[in-house]
Amino acid sequence: MTTSDSKGSSAGPSEIEVVSTGPELRIGVFPCKCGKNIGAVVDIDAVAEYAKTLPGVVHVQVNVYTCADPGQREIQEAIAEHGLNRIVVASCSPTMHEDTFRKTVKAAGLNPYLCIMANIREHVSWVHQHNHEAATQKAKDLVAMAVAKAATLEAQPELDVPVTQAALVVGAGVAGMQAALDLAEAGFKVHLIEKQPTIGGIMAILDKVFPQNDCSICILGPKMVDVAKHPNINMITMAEVESISGYVGNFEVRVKQRPRYVNIDACTSCGDCVEVCPVDVPSRTDQSLTWQKAIQIPFPQAVPSSYFIDPEACLGMDLIRCGKCIDRCEQEAIVPSDRPKYIDLDVGVIILATGFKPADPSKIPRLGWGRYPNVITSLEFERLINAAGPTEGSLVRPSDLTKPTSVAIAQCVGSRDINTRSGCSNFCCAESVKCALLIKEHYPDTEVSIFYQDLRMHGKYFEDQYQKAREEGVKFIRGRVGEIQQYPKTKNLRVSVEDTTHNKLLMEDFDMVILSMGAEGIAGNFPLPISCTHDSFYIESHPKLRPVDTSSAGVFICGGAESPKDIRDSVIQASAAAGRAAIILQKGRYPIEALSAKILQDLCSRCGTCVQRCPYGAISQDGTGKFTVMGALCQACGTCAGDCPQDAIYMPNFTSEQIESQIDIALQEDPGNKIVAFACAFCSYRGSDLAGVSRMQYPTNARVIRAMCSGRYSTKFAQRAFEIGAGAVLYSGCHLPADCHFQTGNHWMAKREPRIRGWMKRNGIEDERFRVEWVSAGEGKKWQTIMTELSEVVKTPRKDIVKPKRAIDSKSKKSVKTKTGSKPKSGSEKKQKPKKKVSSSKSEAGKKKPAKRK
Amino acid sequence: MGDNTQDQLLKDLKERARPCFQCGICTSSCPVFRVAPELNPRLSVDSIITRGVVPREGNEWLCAYCLMCDQRCPMGVSLAEILMEIKNISAREGKAPPDVIEAALSLMQDGCLSPISSRSEKIRTELGLPDLPKAEPADVLKLFKATGALEVLETNKAAQEEASE
Amino acid sequence: MKYAFFPGCTMAYRLQFAEKSIRMVVPKFDIDLVDLPFTCCPEPNAVRALSDETWLTFAARNIALAEAEGLNILTACAGCHESLSMAKHELDRKPEKKNKVNSILKDLGLEYKGISTITHVHQLLFDEIGIETISSKVTRPVPIKVVTHTGCHLLRPERVLHVDNAEVPVKLDLLCEALGMEPLDYMDKTMCCGAGVRKTNSVTSYAVLREKMTSMEMVEPDAVVVFCPTCFVTFESGQKVANRIFGTDFKFPVFYYTELLAIAMDIPETDLLLAEHRVKLDLPKRDETKKEAEMDMGDSIASSP
Repeated sequence: MTTSDSKGSSAGPSEIEVVSTGPELRIGVFPCKCGKNIGAVVDIDAVAEYAKTLPGVVHVQVNVYTCADPGQREIQEAIAEHGLNRIVVASCSPTMHEDTFRKTVKAAGLNPYLCIMANIREHVSWVHQHNHEAATQKAKDLVAMAVAKAATLEAQPELDVPVTQAALVVGAGVAGMQAALDLAEAGFKVHLIEKQPTIGGIMAILDKVFPQNDCSICILGPKMVDVAKHPNINMITMAEVESISGYVGNFEVRVKQRPRYVNIDACTSCGDCVEVCPVDVPSRTDQSLTWQKAIQIPFPQAVPSSYFIDPEACLGMDLIRCGKCIDRCEQEAIVPSDRPKYIDLDVGVIILATGFKPADPSKIPRLGWGRYPNVITSLEFERLINAAGPTEGSLVRPSDLTKPTSVAIAQCVGSRDINTRSGCSNFCCAESVKCALLIKEHYPDTEVSIFYQDLRMHGKYFEDQYQKAREEGVKFIRGRVGEIQQYPKTKNLRVSVEDTTHNKLLMEDFDMVILSMGAEGIAGNFPLPISCTHDSFYIESHPKLRPVDTSSAGVFICGGAESPKDIRDSVIQASAAAGRAAIILQKGRYPIEALSAKILQDLCSRCGTCVQRCPYGAISQDGTGKFTVMGALCQACGTCAGDCPQDAIYMPNFTSEQIESQIDIALQEDPGNKIVAFACAFCSYRGSDLAGVSRMQYPTNARVIRAMCSGRYSTKFAQRAFEIGAGAVLYSGCHLPADCHFQTGNHWMAKREPRIRGWMKRNGIEDERFRVEWVSAGEGKKWQTIMTELSEVVKTPRKDIVKPKRAIDSKSKKSVKTKTGSKPKSGSEKKQKPKKKVSSSKSEAGKKKPAKRK
Repeated sequence: MGDNTQDQLLKDLKERARPCFQCGICTSSCPVFRVAPELNPRLSVDSIITRGVVPREGNEWLCAYCLMCDQRCPMGVSLAEILMEIKNISAREGKAPPDVIEAALSLMQDGCLSPISSRSEKIRTELGLPDLPKAEPADVLKLFKATGALEVLETNKAAQEEASE
Repeated sequence: MKYAFFPGCTMAYRLQFAEKSIRMVVPKFDIDLVDLPFTCCPEPNAVRALSDETWLTFAARNIALAEAEGLNILTACAGCHESLSMAKHELDRKPEKKNKVNSILKDLGLEYKGISTITHVHQLLFDEIGIETISSKVTRPVPIKVVTHTGCHLLRPERVLHVDNAEVPVKLDLLCEALGMEPLDYMDKTMCCGAGVRKTNSVTSYAVLREKMTSMEMVEPDAVVVFCPTCFVTFESGQKVANRIFGTDFKFPVFYYTELLAIAMDIPETDLLLAEHRVKLDLPKRDETKKEAEMDMGDSIASSP
C-alpha cells in the first residue's frame, strides 16, 4: 500500500514514507485484555461488541497481550486482510506503547500516524477497580472517542531535511576553541568566529590557573596554534555574526568582519610600528593599567600573530594626519584601504561560546574601586602578577609602586547581590585562594587575608588548594566586606568587615585590596532568538537532561555564555556541545516533526497572533504577507492553534475537529455527570498515568482528551463542552513557570482562563465547574484528588439552562465516505481543511446558536 | 493588641527577615556597632530567622536609624524597618528608654519634640522670622489616641513608675 | 515657585539663624515660602520607634495640610525629609495603610491624597536651581576648606530618596565649590553623626560622633558644612561633650549651607546669623576677596584705552 509521493516540498526533503488511504474509512479496533490488568475489571468482550457498532469500524479483534509479538502480528495481518486504514488499539497509555504500535502498523505498510490508542488501563481498569460496570461503560466511551478521532486522521509524511556538513562556533575563548577542535577532529568543517583580534578569550590573559596553578598562556598557546593550523577550521577574527536565517541543518549565516588595517600574512609581529605610533590608549589586555599604541598586538602569543589598528584611536592612516607606521613597516603590511567584509556561510549546526565579562566593580561604590588606586580587581591582579604584564610580574601598589606588605581579598563582589547579580559566580572562591597562593609564592612575608561569606571550594582538587593556603599562612575570615575607606595621605585602605564567627568588628588597614569579581552575562543580542536569563546567560533546553541544547534545534551553548564557570568546566561543556552537534552533522539528515502545524491560508486572517505564541520562532511572514510554519522548527505543541481566532491552524492528530468530536462523544450520554479533562502529554497525562500505575482509585466521571501541550486547549473546547452540558471541565498542564516541555504553552493556556470564566459567568455556569490545574508527571496523587473533587462537583446538576447542542447518534452505523479521497498528504503547507462527514445523519457539523437563556 | 495581630506581625517580620543570609555587611556598616557591639543587626535578624523569636535584650534601642544597613544589604532586607518593628514591640511592653518617652510626651503636648522656650521665640522675633502657625493640641491628642500611641505612652509611664519603686 | 515650608522643630526653635538664612536666599531665586501649622514631622526615633502607625499618621497629616493648599513641601532638615518621604512612599504603595490613615485624618478634616512632593533645600538648590545659576549670583566667594556632611537621611535609602549617590555623594561638594570653597574628601564621609541614639544612650551617641570627627580631623578642614539642623547641633555642641568624655580636642566651626550661600551672595546682615554660632570662624573680609580684586582688574583693563 505504499505509494511514493510525487509532490515534494521546495527544500528538497527526502520522503521516507507516504501512504495513501483508500476512499472508504475502514477502522480496525483492537481491545486488549492485558492479561488480567484490563480484563479483570473491564468487560473487554462487551467493549468489543460495542466497538463493532461504531461508525467506520469494519474489524474488531480482542487480544490478551496486544503489544507482544503475536498481538502485533495479528494487527498486521488484519491490516492486510481487511484493508484497514485506521487503527485504534484500546489498551494501555499511549505514553507506554504508541510508538510500539506505530512501528507495527508502519511495518504493515500503513502510515504510522493513522494509528492511535484508547487508554483503558491507566485511565480505567487500574483506577476504577471496584466499579466494573461503570469502568466498562467508560472504556466504551473512550473507544468511541478514539474511533471518532480516528475517522479524521490523515496520513502524515515523515520528512527530513539534509544537514549542511559544517558547523559555526561563535566565540573563540577556551570553550569555543575546544568545541571547534573537537568537531574539526571528528572530520567536520568548522567556522570559528571571534569578536576580538585574537582568539583565547579571558584565559589567555590570566597568569596561573587553578587548581594546578600552571601558566595559563603556556597551556593555551599550543591549543591556539592548533586551532589556527587545523585544516578543518576556518578561523575568522575581528568578526561577529550579523544575521542568521534558516533552520537546523540549513542555517545561512552572514558574518561581518571589521577591518584590521594590517595584512595578517605580511605582518611578522616585529613591533617596529609601535615605536613610531604617537597615540597612547589604555591597554585592553592589561585592564587599563598601562598604555598601548593605536597599532597593537593584544599579547605576544596572539593568534593570528598579527598587529591591528584601533580605528578610533588612530589619528589617520594617511601622510597628513599621521601614517608613521605605514612608513616604518618594512613588510608593507599596513592596509589603510581595509574595509569591513561580509562573509556568507552555510552551516548545519551552531555552537554559542560567547563567554561572559568580569563584573563591573563601579557598581559597588562602597568598595572604592576607581576612587582608591590600591583597590584592584582580580583580573587587574592577574595582569600585575603576570610576567608579561605592565610591571613584569611585580605586585606593586598603583599609588606609589611599592610592594604591599598586607593584602586583603574581598569575596562575592558583583555576585550574590540584588544590585548586581543574585547568583554565585562559581569560580571566584577558587580564584581568590589561587591569588593568595601566588602572592605568598612571590612574597612570602606579605600578609594575605581572605574575607568570605561562604568558601566554595567545590571542584576537584580545590580543597587541597585551600589546605595549602592555610599552610602558607593565608588568613580566612568569615564576613563579607562592608566598606573600604582610604587613608588620605598614605592611600592605605581600611577594610570594615564583621568577623561573624566571633561577632566582632574588624577595621583593619591593608596596603592593597583585591576585589574578587564575579561574572556578568553578555548573552542575548544575537541574530537568533535564543532565550536568556534575566542576568544575560543563555538558557538550556533542560537544566539536567539537556544542559547544552537550546530550545532552538541545532543551536548549542557552552562555556561562560551558559553560566559562569572555570576553565575545566568550560572545556567539558564545550566537548559536550561538540558531541551533541556532531550527532546531527554525522546523521546527515534531520527529521522534521511529522505532526507540525499547518496554516490554512484560506481561513487565515493574517492577524499574526500565532507568531507570538510560538516559542521556536517557527512561524514567519514572507514578503507577500503570508504566514507559514517552518516544519523543521515546529515542535507541534499546538499553542498557535489554541489561540488562532479563525481556527485556521491545522494540528495533525490534534485537529480542532478531532478534539471536538471527542468532546461530543464523551458527552453524548448523561453529560451533566461527566468531566471533560484535558491533559498535556508530557506532564499531566503522565501524572494521570502515574495515578493509574499506583492504583489510586477515583470515580469514573472523567473522560480524558490528550493533547501534546496545554497550549493547545482553545477556549472553544471548554465552551463547547459546557454548551453540550458537561458537568465539569478540567484544563491541566505543566507547572508554571518553567516546566512546560514546549517552553511557554502553559503560560498561554493560563491566560485564557479569565476569558473562559467570564463566558461562564455570563451564562450562569458555576465557577467551580471549570478548573485550571498544574499537574506534573510525578503528581499522581494530585490527579486523584482533582478527579475526586470534580466528581463531587458534578453530583450537583447544572443550574443554568444550557440545552445540549446536538444529539449524537452513535448507534447508527453506515459505511463512510471520506471527502479527501486518495490524495496523499505531502509536507506542503497549503492545504484545504478537509470537511469530513462521518455519516450523513450526523451533519450537525455546523455550530448551532446556543438556546436563549433567561 | 489581639493575639491574631501579634501572630500576623511576627509572621510578617519573619517573612521580611527571611532573605537574610548572614553575610555581615550590615553589622560592619553599623556606626553604633563600631562603638557599642551590643547592637548587632545581623544577630537581631538571626534571632528571628533561626529561633523565630524577636530579640528581647533591648539592644535595638541603640540603633541610630542611620539606614546604612538598609542601604547596603545585598538581599534587600530592610533591616532598619525590622529594627523599628522590634522597637515597636518593645515599646508596647513598656520597655522604651525614658528619654524617648519624654520626647513623645513633649510632642503630644506641644506638637513639637522639645518644649518651645520663650527665649527661642524671642530669638525668632529678633531675627525677623515669622511666628509659625501651630497645630491644635486637641488634634495632636486625637492622633495619639487613634493610633494607639497614647496607650503605649501610658504603658511605659506605668512601667517606669514601677521600676522606680 | 511657592512651597509649603517645613523647617522642622529643631531648626525653628534651636537653629533659628539657619532658618533665617534659608529665608534670606530663596527670594533671590524667585521662591516663596508659605507657613502652615505643621507638627513635628514626626521624628522617627521618638515616634516611629513607639508606633509605626502614629508616625505614618502624623506625617500624612503634615503632607495633607500642604496638599489642601495645593503646595509641595520644602524641607530643611534631613530627618524631616526622610520621615515625610518614607511616609509618602509607604502610603502611595499600600492602599490599606492609606485608607486606614485617612479614616483617622477625616476626623481632623484632612485627607492624604499623594499629590504633593517632598523636596529638600539641597535638591532645590542643586537639581532645580542648578550650580550655574548659583555661581552666577556669587559675588563674595568664601575661600575656606570644608568637609561636607550630607546627612544619613538625605542619602539613604537611595532607592527612595534619589538625592545623591549614597556611597559617593558629590552634590553638596559641588554646591560648596560654587561658593568658592574647597571641599576635602575624608574617611567616613557618609557615616552617621550619632544623633539618633542620643536619647537611648548619650555616651554611645558621642562615641559615634568621636569616630566621625576623628576622620574629619585627619584632613584639617576649616569648617564642616551640613544640610541638617540636628547634625549641626550634634557637631557644633556635641563635639564639646565628646571632648569632655573622651579628652579629644575637636573645635570645628559648623555651617548650614544656606548661611554660606547668603554670605557668598553678599546678602546684608549675615553677621546676625554668625553671631549665634558657638564656634566662630573668621571668614575673609569683604575687601580681601580675590574675586572682587579680579573684578576691579577686569574693569580697569576694559576701561583702559
